[in-house]
Parts: sequence; C-alpha cells; structure tokens
Amino acid sequence: MMELLPVASLLMLVSAGLAIMLLDVFTKGRAELPFVTTIALLAAAAISAAALFAPAPTDVPAFITDYLSVDKYGLFFDVVIALGAALASLLAGGYLREHGLERGEYYVLILFSALGAMVMARAVDLLTLFVGLETLSLGVYSLVGYRRTSARATEAAVKYFLLGSFASAIFLFGAALIYGATGHTGFRSIGEVIAAGHAPVMLVLLGLAMLVAGLGFKVSAVPFHMWTPDAYEGAPTSTTAFMSVVVKSAAFAVFLRLLAVGFGDELSRGAGGWPALLTILAAVTMVYGNLAAVAQSSVKRMLAYSSIAHAGYLLLGLAAVGTKPAEATSAVLYYLAAYTVSNALVLGALIWSGSHGKEATSYADLAGLGRRHPAVGAAFLVGVLSLMGFPPTAGFFGKWYVFSAAVQADMVGMTILAVLSSAVGAFYYLKVLVYLYMKSPEEGAPVAVPMKSSYVVFALVLAAYFVMKMGLTPARYLDAALAAASGLIG
Amino acid sequence: MFAVYLPVFIMLGVATLVAVGMFTATSLAGPKNMTAEKAIPYESGSETTGANHIRMSIKFYLTAILFVVFDIEAVFLYPWAAMFRSLGWVGFVEMLLFIVILGVTLIYAWKKGALEWES
Repeated sequence: MMELLPVASLLMLVSAGLAIMLLDVFTKGRAELPFVTTIALLAAAAISAAALFAPAPTDVPAFITDYLSVDKYGLFFDVVIALGAALASLLAGGYLREHGLERGEYYVLILFSALGAMVMARAVDLLTLFVGLETLSLGVYSLVGYRRTSARATEAAVKYFLLGSFASAIFLFGAALIYGATGHTGFRSIGEVIAAGHAPVMLVLLGLAMLVAGLGFKVSAVPFHMWTPDAYEGAPTSTTAFMSVVVKSAAFAVFLRLLAVGFGDELSRGAGGWPALLTILAAVTMVYGNLAAVAQSSVKRMLAYSSIAHAGYLLLGLAAVGTKPAEATSAVLYYLAAYTVSNALVLGALIWSGSHGKEATSYADLAGLGRRHPAVGAAFLVGVLSLMGFPPTAGFFGKWYVFSAAVQADMVGMTILAVLSSAVGAFYYLKVLVYLYMKSPEEGAPVAVPMKSSYVVFALVLAAYFVMKMGLTPARYLDAALAAASGLIG
Repeated sequence: MFAVYLPVFIMLGVATLVAVGMFTATSLAGPKNMTAEKAIPYESGSETTGANHIRMSIKFYLTAILFVVFDIEAVFLYPWAAMFRSLGWVGFVEMLLFIVILGVTLIYAWKKGALEWES
C-alpha cells in the first residue's frame, strides 16, 4: 500500500468522487456537497503541498513511474489544480443554488475532471496523457452544458464538444506519427530516439506540429481559440472559472513537460523547431486576445478574450524554455499559479454580483456596484489589478518573471510586443473599475444585488489571500516553482 | 510500389464505371410516366396521420450507458480470469477495485431512477 503514496492525491479525488456520487443519491440531494468536495480537494492540495517540501520518494515501483511521474513538477500542478478546482466548487456552491441549478453531479464532474487534469500534469507517456486529457475534457463538456434548458449553454457545449473532439483527434494523430517515427510512447524514450538521430525528421516535426495544434486548442491559443468566447459565456460562471484555471493549467503543464522531455533535443528546439512555432503562436495570441477583449460589452466575454491573451504570455514563456529552461519553466509555473487565483477571484466577484436568478454579466450591470457594496468592489479591484499585472499583486510578478525569462532567451522584440499588448489589456481591465466606481446604473436599468453565500465569500477570501500573498512574498512561491522546474529539467 | 496496387486501381475504376453506367443507362432507357398516385410518399402504404415528429422517451441512451458499464467489465474480466493464477492476490484486489467502482456507478444509476422504465 505504501508504494501508492506518491499518487495519494489522485486516489483521494477518485474516492471522493465515488463517495459523493453515493452521498448525493442516498441523501436525496440534502448533503452539503460543495463543502465535502472542497474539503476533499483542499486535502489533495495539502497532501501534494506537503510532498512538495519533503524529500523526493525513492524506489517508486515502475508500474507507476512508467506512466505517471512522481516528481515535484507534478506535485506543484497537483496543488494548483486542486486549489483551482476547490475555488470553482466553492463558487458553484453559491452560484448553482442562487440560480436554481443545484444538482449533485456537478461536484462529481468537477472532481473527476480535476483528476483528469492531475493525470495530464503527471503523465510521462502519450497514452496516459490522452486518457487524462479525455477524462478532463468529457467532464468539462458536461459542465459547460450543465444548464440544460438554456439554448445558449447547449450551443456552447456542442461547439466546445465538436471542436474539442476534433482537437483530440488531431492530437492523437500527432501522437501516432510520433510513435511511428520513434517506436515509443514514453516522453523520455521519444526524446532519446530523436536525440540519437534515429527518427525521420519530417515525421517528427509533423507529429510535433499536430501535438502543438491539439494542445493549442486546449490552452485556447489563436488560431485554435474559436470556441473560447462562446463556451466561456454560455457556461455557468463557476464552470467558466473551472475551465479558465484548471483546464488551462493542465494543458500548459503537459505542453511544457512534453516539449522539455520529449522534444528537448537540439533539432526540435533549434531554429526550425517548436520555439519558433510557439513564438508565432504567442505573438498572434496575445495581440488578438487583447484587441478583441477591448471590443466586448460582456464582462464574461471580455474575460474569455483576456484568458486568450494570458495564454499568449504563457506561450511566450514556453517558447523561452528552449534556450533558458530553468528560468522560463519556473516563470510559467509561477504565472499559472498566479493566473489561477486571480482569474478565480474576478469570476468569483462576478458570481457574487448576481442573485435570485439574475446574473451580472455586462459592464452596465456592474455600474456603481463598487460604491454600493464595497466588499464586492474590493474583490473585483484586487482581482482585476492582478490580471492587469499591477504591483504588488501575484499577476505583476507572473508577468515580470515570464517577460524577464523571455528577455534572457534573447526574445527582446517579442517581449516588447508582450508589454505593449498588455498595455492594451489595461484599458479593458480598468474599464471594469471605471464602471464599478465612477458610473451609476441608468434610469430603469436593473440594479445588481450581490448574493448572500458564505461559500462564495470563502472562495473570494481564499483567492484574494493568495493573490496578495504571492504578490507580497513572491520569492517563496518562485522557490517552489524553481524546485518543481528542477524536477522536470533535472 | 505503384505497380503492386495497379490491380486495385483497375478494380476501383471498373467498379465505378459499372455503378455510374448502370444508373445512367436505367435513367436514360427506363420509361417514365409519373402519375399522381406514384408521386405520393408511400405509394402502396397507408396515408400518414398526425405529425411525424412525435415525442417519445428515448431509453436507448440509458440502455447504452448501462450496457457499456457491463460490457467493459466483461471485456476486462475474461483476460483476467484466464490469467487468474499467475496474477495472484494483487490481480484479485485490482479487479475487486474495478468492480467496486463499476458497482458504485450502477448503484448511482439505480438510485437516480435510470432503471424505472415506466415513467
């Protein structure tokens, strides 16, 4: 039994998911499922956080390490994913009840999707990775279409499902090509065969491009982003929070590991390899995301485009991994952790602003809210400043580390582009604050009334705590990210 | 390389020609005298009554899901049973866990009313 300890966080989520299924049907929906789910997720986060600061486990059996790594990189993502999922289930606890959507399966789906995300982050084999990816995706498709009676949610779910399955197929095709070229599905063996020069170059590059396209869909990089605004807007806001933090973290986790371990050879990360591909993706993603976000009138849709823009900054960090592995990897990890708490905070504040079936979604709905309800305003303020990258918040150091890693990797032009496009970002983030504090609701317009939910308040306090803590003492978190990065790069 | 597949391509070409040729020949040579009787949707059946898009409860979906639960279980049970002795207690516990997980899903479906056919 002790040999299963390194995957304890995964087992925790499986058993919690099964237990909640039974709890839901036997108590006929009377159990406090958001509470139980959050406890299970926070426990999983605590197990992994403890393991992150403990010495690495020795003699882990090969039946685990061949498929799932037990390194600190995986543990770091366990913590980020479990924390993000816990925030999403707390937000769901308030949101679903307030809008009459409360059903037990939501929490079960959150737990199983989070499990898939953790498997992805730990996967060291293309097949394990695909199983994790599908476990995550299938859960999230249903979470998006959770409001079954709404045509909008159904459209969002169908769109996401069709494009998502297509992306999965492309990913699988890429994996098949890589297997055909190298004869292996394990990342490390793939890397060794390519480095030894035993694999046909064209086949490897084609397979790599397909893997990048499949994962680019999951992180919503331009031009694979079409589904993002619709899915984010049509989904329940708590699902939007889950998608933007958990799906994104898991996809970037596997992206980074796959490129660093499987394609870390000279050829793949040279001039014609993935850094060049990712640099182009990063440039179009951040410019497009920021420009499109400016034009939105719905805050939820704006956050969808802002999430595309953030994917662009992260891709820039990923491109820098080719030349500066340690700096860039730790910067991307820090950024993902910072983005998780900041985005959960802003979406949580948006959830908090609606009540009794009336959701606040547009800028106009937020007019004057910050003056009428200072606590809601404060939550928005901290979250939005962090997304914008304003010191001393988590988001500032996230951007700082990623951009400085890019500069060290001699990507000065790209860094200037990133800084300029994040200046465009400041425009639409500040617009939220302008509406909150400087505008008043128009005559006859509905006035947003915040909901009363201790779950939402707890989620916001938790997220705001980490946003400020990561901003005030960034060194501690960067150290954790560096330790995690060293697990990957060695 | 190409020569190996040549018979296949010839076969493909002949098959296409025959199919296209038959359709063209029948549409050119066949007599066409369309009458009012012939134009109705069901020439020799009875007239449809009511709307053709009726609402009916689709239990296929539940049946299919439950089928998957048991089918996958069977797929894994057969090879496990064949290797039972060499897998030993570890294999037994692993299979037990697998069946327990599937059992939980069955209990869930049952309690959710997925097995109530009448309603």
